[in-house]
Amino acid sequence: MSVSDLPKKESNILKGHEGAVLAARFNSDGNYCLSCGKDRTIRLWNPHRGIHIKTYKSHGREVRDVHVTSDNSKLCSGGGDRQIFYWDVASGRVIRKFRGHDGGVNAVKFNEYSSVVVSAGYDQSLRAWDCRSQSTEPIQVIDSFTDSVMSVCLTKTEIIGGSVDGTVRTFDIRIGRELSDDLGQPVNCISMSNDGNCILASCLDSTIRLLDRSSAELLQEYKGHTCKSYKLDCCLTNTDAHVIGGSEDGSIFFWDLVDASVVSSFQAHSAVVTSVSYHPKDNCMISSSVDSTIRVWKT
Amino acid sequence: MDSDEEDFVFYGTPIEREDDITTSRKKKSVAEASGQLRTLAPWKQEVRDEEGRRRFHGAFSGGFSAGYYNTVGSKEGWTPQSFVSSRKNRSEVKQQDILNFLDEDEKAELEGQSLGTSSQFDTFGITAADHARKHAEKEQQKRPSAIPGPVPDELVLPAADSIGVKLLLKMGWRRGRSIKDSHANVAYDARREARKAFLAFSSIDAKSLPADSEPVHDKPENYIEQPASNDVQSSQNTPVYVLYPKQDLHGLGFDPFKHAPEFRERKRSRVSENRGLANKSSLLTNNNLFGFKSGKLAPGFGIGALEEFDAEDEDVYASGYDFEETYVEDIDEPTRSIMDSKEKSVQKEPGALSGFKLASNSDYQLERFDPPVVPKEFVPHHNFPGPPETSYKLGDPGPPEVPPPQDNNLKVLIDGVATLVARCGKLFEDLSREKNQSNPLFSFLVGGNGHDYYARKLWEEQQKRGDQTKLHLDGKLSPRTQKMTSESRGKILGERPLERSSKDSSTSIASADIHLQYNLSDTFTDPSLYSEMPVVAKPFMNDPAKQERFEQFLKEKYQGGLRSTESGRASHMSEAARARERLDFETAAEAIKKGKWSKEISTSLTGGMEFTSGGFVQAKDTRAEDAIPKEVHVKRTEYQWRPSPILCKRFDLIDPYMGKPPPAPRMKSKMDTLIFTSDSVKATKEEETIIVKRDSYHMPQPEAGGVSKDVADNESGGEVEVENVERPVDLYKAIFSDDSDDEEDTSIPNEVSNPEKKVDAANTTLNRLIAGDFLESLGKELGLEVPPELPSSTNKSRTSAPLKETANANSRLYSTYPVEDKPSSTLDVPHSRESAQDGTYEKREPANGNLMGARSNSKHAETYLGNQFDNINSEKGPLEDRKFKTPSRRHRSLSSSSSSEDERSRKRRRHRHRHSDSDSDSLSDHRDRYHSRSKGRKKGSSREKSSSSRKHSKHHKRRSRESPSRYDYSPEKERTETKRDKHQRRD
Repeated sequence: MSVSDLPKKESNILKGHEGAVLAARFNSDGNYCLSCGKDRTIRLWNPHRGIHIKTYKSHGREVRDVHVTSDNSKLCSGGGDRQIFYWDVASGRVIRKFRGHDGGVNAVKFNEYSSVVVSAGYDQSLRAWDCRSQSTEPIQVIDSFTDSVMSVCLTKTEIIGGSVDGTVRTFDIRIGRELSDDLGQPVNCISMSNDGNCILASCLDSTIRLLDRSSAELLQEYKGHTCKSYKLDCCLTNTDAHVIGGSEDGSIFFWDLVDASVVSSFQAHSAVVTSVSYHPKDNCMISSSVDSTIRVWKT
Repeated sequence: MDSDEEDFVFYGTPIEREDDITTSRKKKSVAEASGQLRTLAPWKQEVRDEEGRRRFHGAFSGGFSAGYYNTVGSKEGWTPQSFVSSRKNRSEVKQQDILNFLDEDEKAELEGQSLGTSSQFDTFGITAADHARKHAEKEQQKRPSAIPGPVPDELVLPAADSIGVKLLLKMGWRRGRSIKDSHANVAYDARREARKAFLAFSSIDAKSLPADSEPVHDKPENYIEQPASNDVQSSQNTPVYVLYPKQDLHGLGFDPFKHAPEFRERKRSRVSENRGLANKSSLLTNNNLFGFKSGKLAPGFGIGALEEFDAEDEDVYASGYDFEETYVEDIDEPTRSIMDSKEKSVQKEPGALSGFKLASNSDYQLERFDPPVVPKEFVPHHNFPGPPETSYKLGDPGPPEVPPPQDNNLKVLIDGVATLVARCGKLFEDLSREKNQSNPLFSFLVGGNGHDYYARKLWEEQQKRGDQTKLHLDGKLSPRTQKMTSESRGKILGERPLERSSKDSSTSIASADIHLQYNLSDTFTDPSLYSEMPVVAKPFMNDPAKQERFEQFLKEKYQGGLRSTESGRASHMSEAARARERLDFETAAEAIKKGKWSKEISTSLTGGMEFTSGGFVQAKDTRAEDAIPKEVHVKRTEYQWRPSPILCKRFDLIDPYMGKPPPAPRMKSKMDTLIFTSDSVKATKEEETIIVKRDSYHMPQPEAGGVSKDVADNESGGEVEVENVERPVDLYKAIFSDDSDDEEDTSIPNEVSNPEKKVDAANTTLNRLIAGDFLESLGKELGLEVPPELPSSTNKSRTSAPLKETANANSRLYSTYPVEDKPSSTLDVPHSRESAQDGTYEKREPANGNLMGARSNSKHAETYLGNQFDNINSEKGPLEDRKFKTPSRRHRSLSSSSSSEDERSRKRRRHRHRHSDSDSDSLSDHRDRYHSRSKGRKKGSSREKSSSSRKHSKHHKRRSRESPSRYDYSPEKERTETKRDKHQRRD
């Protein structure tokens, strides 16, 4: 993918959130996107047409993360009210509430079969919740982290969590191992490359680090942006050619994956860019910001 | 919803609205026609006409469902009410009353006979009101209440005044006012007027009869006047509802004087003495408001008993009607008129008793002192105390400088003890004093020879520590330690710490009061420090052997793990000499550590040290470049983690722990967390060190011995370091549990030296070694002499020494990968035949070999295959396995360790063959094997050795002390040299 293909042109602004938007996520096919924010709502959008479709209200505090199943039928969300909500997308009703975190929930993810929600919490734990049973108790609590867990990624067999204690821990369910990779810097956000071999970890020292998952080798560091005090997301393009990260000054950076050079950066928002999400197939990107907007970027 | 719907349209089919009436109605009628609804239970069925409307029977004949849901049945069906015998229920017949049988008019008639207040004479309307209230209450009971439980009205009764109060109120008396005041005053005034007139009249007659009678009349008047106005005061007070208000801190109803009533009076008198003033004044000022507390709080709207009063809770509703002010005026008006100035002053000055006034000039002179002069050099900056023991002596000049005692040994001993005391606190000194009462060597503790020097030394150490803590606080820490913990961050943000987090990471700090734990935490890694250790100067330059031991000591000290009592090569030394050397090392290490913080400390220290400050300058310089690490290296650590079965199921995976017994309940003791945290911290630091070293250092390692070996090992291993954190558990077990417990645990090193030896005996020996070493190191830590353990059999320990190492390595690796049997067939088969006792075991071997063939192909596959295999093996149980096959197992362990290492570093695969060959060749001769192994390892596979020796260095140390000839110098040196070679090649 050439540099000119990077989504840098603003195609739509999604307005509706009151207050900061904390996360914006494409759904699995990229036709819709979800956002959540300080106004305690989750919103479903069509980013391509720029329309707001639905609002999900039930959270008692800010919603920090949201994830949708691959069949688009269910949502999960977690936030400052320490609960994970399991939603029915169409009706907008809460199917289940999972309580158990002792602190705010920083991130939530469905597993591949959408049967388990894994949540990362401020209480230094990862918790797995069963969506299939009626039980609202976590089926697994992973509390080997020594600080707030900021982000979680799931593969078919693994749970990966990034924490402020500077570690990215991989919990391999298949062999029952925990691999702890210590980066030495608080990890804000982790996102997995599309080939599943690497982990992109956004650290609080204004550096995004690329980690080889099998060897724990530090492959590359991406610098230039500011990330010192906020939870800023980072992601890879769908071709894994570029790394995208928001900055606290409202700009978005594109780095070349291999040589870590800043390919492009532009002022995208007027305030902190909290989240970036890349379209699974097209050259399209959404970014959310504290300025209460979500912007859709296309080439 | 409407706007939503249009968005739903363009993608996919629109979702049907369930409340779409027409369609659903149609549907239902259709469904009914097709007979679907008939299957429903009768109470779920609805009767509908042809158009799908529900049949309406009429408002008074059942509405939509006449009868029982349009049927004649009941919920139970069409069965008649079953007969209920009254035999059992007979007793339940209610107590009947005549009223039950009376008609209304009869009741009214009956009521006429009962005594009650007639409404005719209900002057104040109280009875009527009461009646109405009761009536309302009854009504209330009949109606269902929104609030379950007792009706609030029942709880909140209007406060009933006594009839006397009511009457008084009706007569014009107002609350707070004396009943007789106005009349009394009026009467008094009248009398006074009369008296004046009378006096004026009678003054003409000189002192006649009325003059005599006057005083008689007047005195009581005067006398009365005083109490009367006092009475006004007291009558303003709230009636004393609580005779004995609870003022103590005892529990409710607890009477401390129950069995000693004679003390009650004493107590009461004392209390009333104390309380007299304040109580009085508070009564005067506050309690004159009936029912309402003074203050600005709204009287009980929306504020729960448990809620705190915030600013917003205050005075929300009160502004509308200020009870206090109106009331106070009401009360004060009449009082003021009759109060003389004295009384007023009483009210104004709450400190004085009524009837007294404050003296205008008292002979009690308030002494004033000038504030202390602040020294010029005083810095208004609070130093937070570090360890409690260290901070308190910072200011004083300390004991005078004393020349060290002549005896060098004693000097060293004193230095060491002082260092330890400064580090561990006063408790340590007390403890060691107690323990060493009889020991003449330690007489300096109790004021004997060298006590002055000890005092001075101790002071110096404490100074140093104080400086260190100060530096800590000043933020001159390495960037590593500055990393925010969740606690510090929470503190900054003003968050309440989570329970778990505060528990976890504060252990090392909080445990200072518990001596054992303190020592333990000391035993493990001191973070931030080891990173600078590689650049230390050599304090014992003139004695290379000693220097080497010192470095070994340093390595053990800062790499964590249990400290061994002495280095391996010091076996020719006596116990006492070793202890002294250890103290020496301790002092030196401490000094080096300090040297990093401030240079002058190190120079001040040189009295007892053998190194020069020049070395520190150099050290500092190198450190400066180290301060900017080029890149962060990722440190990988591997732990065992057990996913819950349900999680595996949900992820559609096979539980890797399927069939295994549930994990032992994790130890929640402080000990456990301590061990665990320090271990993981250590691991990180290690890696850090290496990185730093690699970046800056190109010359040969300053440490010739174990440290460099370890470093080189780590380097050869690359970034990936596989650590196992289970070891502390083993340690724990070894110390605190019986030998028999260990047999259950597969991760316990269960190895035997000789096949002919009993397994259990060997196990016991090992455990004793572990425990003994641990205790001994603890003892050393405390500066106590621990009697050397009797070498039970030199022969055994000699042979077992290398084996144990390897077995330990095995167990480590074993718990790292859940693969028990991963031998290469070439290696294993011959040996297992050699001492085969069990057929089944042998049968399994070839299978393993086959497995091994496939292994080298794919890294992942082998792990999982091995994993499965492990599952198979686990059914056999480690116990029988061990009993049958210890020798062969030992060799398997050898190969498995090397092979798993092979997995980790693919680049070294080509050396692999040679390595295993050398292993298998020398199976017969242990010593030979050992040498060849070390040779074979040269090229890069020495990692396993070093890790095992690091991990379990204490066994190894211990053993080698017992068998001096066992561990000779040459292989060690050889290895070191190869390490250096390799290092240089790398650079």
